[in-house]
Amino acid sequence: MGFLDIRNVTKSYGPVQVLHRIDIAVEEGEFLVLVGPSGCGKSTLLNMIAGLEAITDGEIAIKGRVVNGVHPSKRNIAMVFQSYALYPNMTVGQNMTFGLEMHGVPKPERDRALADVAKLLQIETLLDRKPGQLSGGQRQRVAMGRALVRNPDVFLFDEPLSNLDAKLRVDMRTEIKKLHQKLKTTIVYVTHDQIEALTLSTRIAVMNKGHVQQLGTPKEIYDTPANLFVATFMGSPAMNIVPATVVMENGHPHAALTDADGGVHRLRFSQANLAAWEGKPILLGIRPEAITDPEGADRKSGNIQPFSNRVTVTEPAGSDTFVTMTLSGKDVIARMRADANVTPGQSFDFAINMEKAVAFDPATEARIPA
Amino acid sequence: MAAVTQDTAVSTGRITRTFIYLVLVLFALFYLLPLYVMGVNSLKPLNEITGGNMMALPSQWTLEPWRSAWSTAQIGVEPTGLKPYFLNSILMVVPAVAISTIIGALNGYVLTKWRFRGDTWVFGLMLFSCFIPFQIVLIPMAVVLGKLGLAGTVPGLILVHVVYGIGFTTLYFRNYYASFPTELVRAAMIDGAGFFRIFWRILLPVSGPIAVVSVIWQFTNIWNDFLFGVSFGGTSQPMTVALNNLVQSSTGVKEYNVHFAGAILAALPTLLVYIVAGRYFVRGLMAGSVKG
Ligand SMILES: Nc1ncnc2c1ncn2[C@@H]1O[C@H](COP(=O)(O)OP(=O)(O)OP(=O)(O)O)[C@@H](O)[C@H]1O
Ligand SMILES: [Mg+2]
Repeated sequence: MGFLDIRNVTKSYGPVQVLHRIDIAVEEGEFLVLVGPSGCGKSTLLNMIAGLEAITDGEIAIKGRVVNGVHPSKRNIAMVFQSYALYPNMTVGQNMTFGLEMHGVPKPERDRALADVAKLLQIETLLDRKPGQLSGGQRQRVAMGRALVRNPDVFLFDEPLSNLDAKLRVDMRTEIKKLHQKLKTTIVYVTHDQIEALTLSTRIAVMNKGHVQQLGTPKEIYDTPANLFVATFMGSPAMNIVPATVVMENGHPHAALTDADGGVHRLRFSQANLAAWEGKPILLGIRPEAITDPEGADRKSGNIQPFSNRVTVTEPAGSDTFVTMTLSGKDVIARMRADANVTPGQSFDFAINMEKAVAFDPATEARIPA
Repeated sequence: MAAVTQDTAVSTGRITRTFIYLVLVLFALFYLLPLYVMGVNSLKPLNEITGGNMMALPSQWTLEPWRSAWSTAQIGVEPTGLKPYFLNSILMVVPAVAISTIIGALNGYVLTKWRFRGDTWVFGLMLFSCFIPFQIVLIPMAVVLGKLGLAGTVPGLILVHVVYGIGFTTLYFRNYYASFPTELVRAAMIDGAGFFRIFWRILLPVSGPIAVVSVIWQFTNIWNDFLFGVSFGGTSQPMTVALNNLVQSSTGVKEYNVHFAGAILAALPTLLVYIVAGRYFVRGLMAGSVKG
């Protein structure tokens, strides 16, 4: 039993079911990120934890207490909204202490809590301003401050950074992470930004169409995605997915691929149990950073396979250069060091780290487990 | 809002501009003419009106018609002037406006932030009430007032006007609150505020513009109403009915100067409301249609 238990929770709007048997146990101090494309039901799930949406079936428990039907204010949760939802007619200070006031906390205590949090978030100078007189980043801070003042059991964030510009978003991301490390609070955080999910979370639930596709640590999600959806949704640029056939050579399973000029390459799998797939088609999944020039290859890897292919496009992106090639009829992106000497239209010797390769069953789209 | 009016100003040449202003001034004069006639004629003795030019300024200025209209003129059979009726109107219009505005605000709040099954139907029916002509409700209303024992009293008139006004005030507030972010209400719920606390602390403080619209609309309609007043007023008739009695009184000479003064007195409160709150009226009506 976890600190926050979501047990077999479903949600329907009339005949339409938008969440299907969600089952997640969150430990105390965990930073759980719900990530998925728009409309997959992330906000709905978060609102059900908050008590803002009724639970159709299943139950949600916080600290062992089932909270189905408990009023939002009695769940000891705090929520940070996408629009910040600061009360426009109140000052920052009043905004932050409104919840305490409603809960009957006496004024001196409220002021003390306000002072502490204002100091923590460095917004002491803003307390007398109205939300309309704040910048986006300041509003964001105040919204977080309002949640912190309550000292709740669980923090709920619904895409709190999506209204900020790119630079500020990165800064605030770091700040939220620092805050979590310092306060060790339990957080459920909704985003559709997979980078936010990977950087912030201790665990990620990847959702699609109302189903949890995979629940795991960022590393698990990134390295061993449960299925094609998770593989392509998490990571940027996305994981390359190439149709291949499993062939046996010297007793080892290999992926047979054709390059741009019709040449066949056989790349040895590290995953021995793929021998069972001999002669069958699979989908080979390989992250861009696992395809490099030979000098840039991961030295700790025990399975670097060389192959050459014609380069179609190169895209320098500052620290890296992205190189596009064609493999088995699909565009495949490789991530090179910035100074790799690659010329479009010419053949290049690549090194592929097959330790990082994953294989998917083309019929079920699930990963073939090792 | 300021930015909007500036941005929408079309730049024009000098000749066009002069022409536009000329036309505007002409229209303004045309519309102000009745007020001018009423004003000057209420300030002259009767013989100057009957014997002379209605458009001319008084040769002998006097406030006597105003005094007479206010406190001594014959209204029906009593020589009371308009004063008691003016008071009746105030006693009727202030509570009626306040109550119908508050109910409208609550209705708008519920219809947008506490949605329930069938709420659009409820709203539709309330909208429908805006289109019912006064005449249709006269007889049922008379029956209801009689049953309640409120016939011919100020509270009775207040009830009639509140019932009739709720449709409009609900419409105003519902549309205004529809663009009010629901996330704020949810945040307040999590903060522990209840139904009335959210209304009072979160929504009402930002409802100024639409409240002004509702107040102006209700005030003008209720103050200027004649039909309900004459039907249900009984002994506590409002200003409009009294003005009619003053002007229509068949005994003696027609004191036009007193009639003019009385008419201005009757129009004064609505005029005042427009001057004080008029600019919020447009602002409130426009709210939500333009972002920011
Ligand atoms: N009141 C409602 N009635 C019917 N369907 C609804 C209602 N509210 C949400 N939905 C549906 O539920 C699904 C999940 O919505 P939700 O808001 O949870 O998506 P989300 O994952 O938060 O998306 P986004 O990233 O765009 O915020 C959507 O398909 C939406 O259309
Ligand atoms: Mg959402």
